[in-house]
Amino acid sequence: TLRLVCTTTAVQRKNAGASGPEKYTEAFIKKQIEEFNLGKRHLANMMGEDPETFTQEDIDRAIAYLFPSGLFDKQARPLMKHPTEVFPEQRKIQWGEDGRPFHFLFYTGKQSYYSLMHETYEKLLNVQKHQDQLIAQDLPLPNEKRNLAGNRWLTKIELEEMLVEKVSDEDYSRFIRLLQKLVALPCTDIEEKYIQKFSKEVPAQLQKVVIEPLQYDEQGVAFSTGEGKRKTASATAVVYDNGTGKITVNGIDILHYFPVLQDREQLLFPFQFLGRIGKHDMVCTVSGGGRSAQAGAIRLASAKALRSFVTEKEVEFMRQAGLLTDDPRVKERKKPGQEGPRRKFTWKKR
Amino acid sequence: RIMPVRWSRYNPSYLEPEVKTESHQKPLEELTEEEKEQMDLKAVRPIKAAPATLSSSVFSDPMISKFTNMMMKSGNKVLAKSLMSQTLEAIKRKQLEKYHKAPENEKETIECNPYVIFHQALKNCQPIIGLSSITRGGKTYQVPVPLTDNRKRFLAMKWLITECRENKHRRTLMPEKLSQELLLAFSNEGPVIKKKHVLHKMAEANRAYAHFRWW
Repeated sequence: TLRLVCTTTAVQRKNAGASGPEKYTEAFIKKQIEEFNLGKRHLANMMGEDPETFTQEDIDRAIAYLFPSGLFDKQARPLMKHPTEVFPEQRKIQWGEDGRPFHFLFYTGKQSYYSLMHETYEKLLNVQKHQDQLIAQDLPLPNEKRNLAGNRWLTKIELEEMLVEKVSDEDYSRFIRLLQKLVALPCTDIEEKYIQKFSKEVPAQLQKVVIEPLQYDEQGVAFSTGEGKRKTASATAVVYDNGTGKITVNGIDILHYFPVLQDREQLLFPFQFLGRIGKHDMVCTVSGGGRSAQAGAIRLASAKALRSFVTEKEVEFMRQAGLLTDDPRVKERKKPGQEGPRRKFTWKKR
Repeated sequence: RIMPVRWSRYNPSYLEPEVKTESHQKPLEELTEEEKEQMDLKAVRPIKAAPATLSSSVFSDPMISKFTNMMMKSGNKVLAKSLMSQTLEAIKRKQLEKYHKAPENEKETIECNPYVIFHQALKNCQPIIGLSSITRGGKTYQVPVPLTDNRKRFLAMKWLITECRENKHRRTLMPEKLSQELLLAFSNEGPVIKKKHVLHKMAEANRAYAHFRWW
C-alpha cells in the first residue's frame, strides 16, 4: 500500500466533500497530524531554529531550501503542509454498526443541503408568525432596511465547503432565492444571527487605490504623474498645474500626432469631465499599440494623474464614468481549424 | 441575476459606466429610492472602462455613434465619421437655404439643428409592430409581433442605410443622398416611411394569425 505523506499535493482539489466512499479514516488523519508535528520539530532542529516558534512560512522556506526544484508548476514542487489543508474535508461514516443511517434525510442523497433548506424555511415561518403576532397586537412593524449593497451572499464554492457536500447550480440558486425571500420580510431582526452565517461583507468601497500627493518642481508648479496601458500600448503622463491646456505627446503637439478627432476627444475626456480644460498642461510619452490604443492609454494615464488634483468625491465620479479602469480587452487568439478568432473556414458541400 | 454575454473579458459583476456629468452633480435629496440603491450598488462594484466611442463632451451622441458604426465598412471608422459629419453639414446647408428663402411667418417653423432633424427622422422611421415567421403544421406564417426599442431603432437605421446605398443615381455621393433621405423622413415622406407603412399594412393583414404568438 502507498504511504501518503503530506509532502505532495496530489489531492488538492477545489471542492470539498468526498466524491466516493471514504478514503481516509479518522485514525489515519490523526496519525498524519502527529507525523506532521514531529516532522516540523525535526525540521526546526535541522535549520537551527526554535521548534516552538516555527511557523508555516518558515516551513515553506526550509523545504524550498532543502529540496530545490526547477519544476514550473508550483503545485508539483515538494510541499509540507498541515494535513487538514492537504486532505480535503470528509464526512465520517453516516451510518451506525447496524447499517441504519444517523441523519433522517440520509436517503435523499443530499442530506446537508435539504436539512439546511428545512432550517431556513423554519426560520421563515417563524418570522411570519412573529409578524402576524405584531399585527394582531396592532403594534407598528419595524421597517429597517438592511444595507443590501454592502453584503454579498456566500458563493457556491463557499457553501460547498460549509456543507462538506456537493451542491448543484440549481440547488444553490434555490437556496439564495429562499434567503432573499427571508430578508425581504419586515421583521428579520430575530433571525439576524442565522442570516449572518450566509452573508459576507464586501469591502465598503472600491477605493482601495492610494492617491499619491502632488509633487512640486523647481518653479513651484504642482505636477503629478500617471501611467496607463491599453492593448500593448503603454503611456506615462505628467500633468502640470497653472497651464494653458497644451498637450504634447512624444514631443509632438496632439494636433499633429492624432489627426483623427475621436482620439483627441478621448485625450480631452478626463479634463472635460472634471471641467478643467484650460487649467492643466500635459506632457506624455507613449509607445506600442495602434492609434486608438495609444489614445486610450494616454486617457487612462491622465485620469490617474488627475486624481491627485481632485477631491475624493470627484475621484469616485471618475471611477463610475469608467475613466480609471484598465481595459482588459485584447486581441483574441486564432484557433486551429478556424480562419480567425471567430470566423470559420468557408463551408464547402463537397 | 448576472448573466455574462457569450464571453466578455470582464467579470460579470462589472457594471456599465455612466459618462454624463449631470447625474453626478445632482444633490442627494433629489434622488429617488431606486436611484439611491443604484448609487450604493455602484459604490461597491467595479465598473467597466469607458469605450473609445463614448465621451462626456456635448458633441458625442450615442445614436449618432451607433449610426456611424452601422455605416462603417471593414473597420474604416475615419471614413464613416467623415461621411456622417458631411451629411450633417449638408443638412444644415439645405435647411439654411430654405430658411433664408422663406417668408417671415414661416421662418420659425423651419428646423435648422441637424441633430434634432436626425433624431426626429429616425423616430418617424421606426416601425411599431414587426413580423416574425412561425412554422405551424408545415406552413410558415408571418405573425405580427411587438418589437423592442432596440429592434425598432436598428430597423430604422438599417432601412435608411440600405436605401441610400442602393436606390441612388451612380454619381451622387453618400452624404448628399443621406441628407436628402433624412429631410424626407423628417417630414414623413420618402421611401423609408413608405417601407414602414407597408410593414404596418402587412401586419394588419395578418392580424388573424396574431394568436400564434406565445411570448
